Amino acid sequence: MDNITLLLDGFATAMQPEYLLYALLGVTLGTAVGVLPGIGPAMTVALLLPLTYTLEPTAAIIIFAGIYYGGMYGGSTTSILLNTPGESSSIVTALEGNKMAKAGRGAAALATAAIGSFVAGTIATVLLTVLAPTIADLAVTLGPPDYFALMVVAFITVAALLGSSISRGLASLALGLFLGLVGTDTLTGQPRLTLGLSTLSDGIDVVIVAVGVFAVGEALYVASRLRHGPVEVVPVGGKWMTKDFWARSWKPWLRGTAIGFPIGTIPAGGADVSTFLSYAAEKKLAKRPEEFGKGAIEGVAGPEAANNAAAAGVLVPLLTLGLPTTATAAVIVAAFQSYGIQPGPLLFTNNSALVWALIASLYIGNVMLLVLNLPLIKIWVKVLQIPRPYLYAGILLFAALGTYAVNFIVEDLIVLLVIGVVGFFMRRHGYPIAPAVVGMILGPMAEEQLRRTLTISQGDPVALVDSPFAMVAYGILAVILLSAAVLRFRRSREKVPA
Amino acid sequence: MTAVDSPTPGADPVRGRQIEEYVFGGLIVALGIFTLVEAGTIRVPSSASSVGPRAFPYAVGFLLVVTGVAAIVATARGKLGELEDAEDVDANARTDWMTVAKLMVFLVAHLALIDLVGWPVAAAVLFAGAAWTLGARPWWKVLLIAVVLSLAIQIAFASGLGLSLPAGIFEGVPLLDG
Repeated sequence: MDNITLLLDGFATAMQPEYLLYALLGVTLGTAVGVLPGIGPAMTVALLLPLTYTLEPTAAIIIFAGIYYGGMYGGSTTSILLNTPGESSSIVTALEGNKMAKAGRGAAALATAAIGSFVAGTIATVLLTVLAPTIADLAVTLGPPDYFALMVVAFITVAALLGSSISRGLASLALGLFLGLVGTDTLTGQPRLTLGLSTLSDGIDVVIVAVGVFAVGEALYVASRLRHGPVEVVPVGGKWMTKDFWARSWKPWLRGTAIGFPIGTIPAGGADVSTFLSYAAEKKLAKRPEEFGKGAIEGVAGPEAANNAAAAGVLVPLLTLGLPTTATAAVIVAAFQSYGIQPGPLLFTNNSALVWALIASLYIGNVMLLVLNLPLIKIWVKVLQIPRPYLYAGILLFAALGTYAVNFIVEDLIVLLVIGVVGFFMRRHGYPIAPAVVGMILGPMAEEQLRRTLTISQGDPVALVDSPFAMVAYGILAVILLSAAVLRFRRSREKVPA
Repeated sequence: MTAVDSPTPGADPVRGRQIEEYVFGGLIVALGIFTLVEAGTIRVPSSASSVGPRAFPYAVGFLLVVTGVAAIVATARGKLGELEDAEDVDANARTDWMTVAKLMVFLVAHLALIDLVGWPVAAAVLFAGAAWTLGARPWWKVLLIAVVLSLAIQIAFASGLGLSLPAGIFEGVPLLDG
């Protein structure tokens, strides 16, 4: 196997002290932003983009991968220890983890989350290592109509499956597509939707949009309804190295991995969906189902593993097809593009050294994260307690700095403010953010594939579905939409008696 | 996630939110119409193939109009958008528009001040103003943290990253002016 040699070469690169330091920087930053509410990995990668232009691509991509994996670990600490009942219920880990912490078993909850993340992250990275080159080989044979079909699938699933309202999800997607249109048409060189402004003729920078909707939008939104008073953190209590801990944790870890990885690889809403499914599975399989809702360790172990496995799964379509299925993945695509590298099937042939160093750094990052999140957990508890006025003031300051550092012009900050206000109202009115970011980054690529398809076919639209792969993709999309509609219908019927 | 159609204290906030949703949906429709009109003015070079630079903008404009109308219809049928959850959000708090307005003022002040007095001062104003608005006290501590933080970033940029932020009033000062 020639891939094993390549992976070993990747390790040889990633194990150089310099790159180890970059990986450590990435996972530390990632854990910090995962722990802190109000900042996510998508926004952090976006903010760091302008600051890393001076680095070489391999170093920058290793930092971004560390942030991506680290964010997944850090988030669980917040869900388990932050005393905000009911509020963070959208994060499944909080359901059981927070109850465990309050019952004095916080150490066990944190440990099962960290070790589960490590186990799942490592297994999923192995799967990624094995699968990605194979899929990339297949993907080379795909033509423009196939890519267009994949992008349509990604658009629709990200927009229609996430969030509570299909119309709002699609509107968010449309807003993103609109932002992607502004600028100069790549194929004909004509300005589009620029209002004649020279600032807009190069298009709106992805960094500014990502920072605007995530950082400024989020900070304004939280500020409008800020929970005042001191941050209440549940003290970490209890022992975790018990026989019972291992006996009850290992199966949910493996099941979570088995659920998370495939969900991550398909464009079906990313990590969130996998945690819900894992939670439901653990509840059904539990020997002591009565403990669920009162602090069952399986309810932390499974979803946390699923979360990390899905995060690795998302990298499969990202690296092999150039297809981002979550907001963070979309920003990572933008990061690759800023270095003139296009993620996709040719990545493994054209940038083989970089991609294998990246994969090797994922293994290394996982080990680092286990150390950062198990023995060093006390540090993150301190980070979690940063007073909120300073936290959100800091987010605004770094948002402005990151945007300004793109081109060093004040006009960019005006665009940032406008997009931040849009992001604020989107949050207030239930418009999900992810479809807008995915739409903005994927939109121009989709347009290019569409126009290529129709140029080859001389305008005949049948060409769009005239390939077996595209037909299968649209078929699967129809099945996904149908099952989602059925689920939605059943859920709405369940809600009525409750 | 909490459903918004559950009883909220007082009837007015719901009515207010509804009007806001109509306005936001209306703006999406307006943006769609703007896109459709603008798409018609994009020049199509004779070299362009069957699908020129206009087709995709037309499609996006159409999607904006349709989804905007759908959001308005959903609102009219009583399906208000769900407020987003966040760990630091107080679900029972009323919207504090004054805070949002103050933060906007400090953001605008920041971007106006960069070219006038330099980045460090503009940054300190933004950080101190935002932290104060969100409830950080006492004022001298807020100001001290803001000044130290902005100077530290300025030095890091000037010396470490090789990207220089405008020093403004600190022009020529070693360390601060890259």
